[in-house]
Amino acid sequence: MSIKIRFFARFRELLGTDIVVEAGADTDIASLVKRTAQKNKEGYDAIFDDRGKFREFVIVMRNGKRVETADANKIPVGGNDEIAVFPPVAGG
Amino acid sequence: MLSARELDRYKRQILLFGEEGQKRLNSAHIFIAGAGGLGSPISIYLAVAGIGTITVVDKDVVELTNLNRQILHYDRDIGKKKTASAEEKLMAINPDIRIRAVDTTIDASNVSRLVGRADGIVDAMDNFPTRYLLNETAVKKKIPFFHGAIRGLYGQATTIIPGQTPCLRCIFPNAPPKEVFPVVGVTPAFIGMIQATEVLKFLVGDGKLLKNRLFLWDGLEAHAEEIAMEKNPACPVCGKKEQKITGVKKR
Repeated sequence: MSIKIRFFARFRELLGTDIVVEAGADTDIASLVKRTAQKNKEGYDAIFDDRGKFREFVIVMRNGKRVETADANKIPVGGNDEIAVFPPVAGG
Repeated sequence: MLSARELDRYKRQILLFGEEGQKRLNSAHIFIAGAGGLGSPISIYLAVAGIGTITVVDKDVVELTNLNRQILHYDRDIGKKKTASAEEKLMAINPDIRIRAVDTTIDASNVSRLVGRADGIVDAMDNFPTRYLLNETAVKKKIPFFHGAIRGLYGQATTIIPGQTPCLRCIFPNAPPKEVFPVVGVTPAFIGMIQATEVLKFLVGDGKLLKNRLFLWDGLEAHAEEIAMEKNPACPVCGKKEQKITGVKKR
């Protein structure tokens, strides 16, 4: 099945956006994002820590709904899902 | 009552909000945390719109590196307190309103007293720890909190109405890492205008607020996006409190 991954802001600069990836039935959100981000080390490191976990400030949405990043490795993706990954900004 | 001078000054927006709306603006007190990149355009536009009392809090001195974006401060103000510079400009822009400029660092010991009984708190901060403090105060006092933040050509904004929307902690449980962030003046101007527009709409009771939605701006792509946001029932700031209230009721 096809899943669309959308990276925002700095993540988009490093990884691109609106990336359509193919995923098997048992694929979970975390591993799919991880696999997609792996094409650029800087992009991967911006999203994941050295233990391969989502950095704690990263926000992940599935079809417009927030996903707890700690649970993202347990949530399987579904056909036509849209996964958004973005970094909040802090300047003012 | 609006004076003849005020009727004239605000003539073009009275066409939008009516005299009643203008009176609401005139009797409002808005608290702006920060007189920097976001605080500059926000305070200027709220001042010209005739918000009756504006409190601006900042602890810093104007530096040369601020001037690419902090349009309240001029080259001649380098070395001056930002609050003194802000007060001077805002008073010159609109002498018919009250400006309270407070030169201090917002911290846990003074935030409640500083905010006082303001009708709205505008987040023009450059760091999450202070934003979290303002958020807690807003939730505690049930004061609307207008969030905005920027980096480079990216920005985000949302309007938090305690009791109705997620709070800042629900939306951002963890702060992004601290950094010297890149920025060009147009980005805080753009996000600041979304916040200021929300303040005006809230005060006059017009339109649909940016509630339960996080607005994301990508200036590099000229693309705006919004993401639905929900309350976190386990939020340490707004979740627990409500559970506590329910608990009391049950007893």
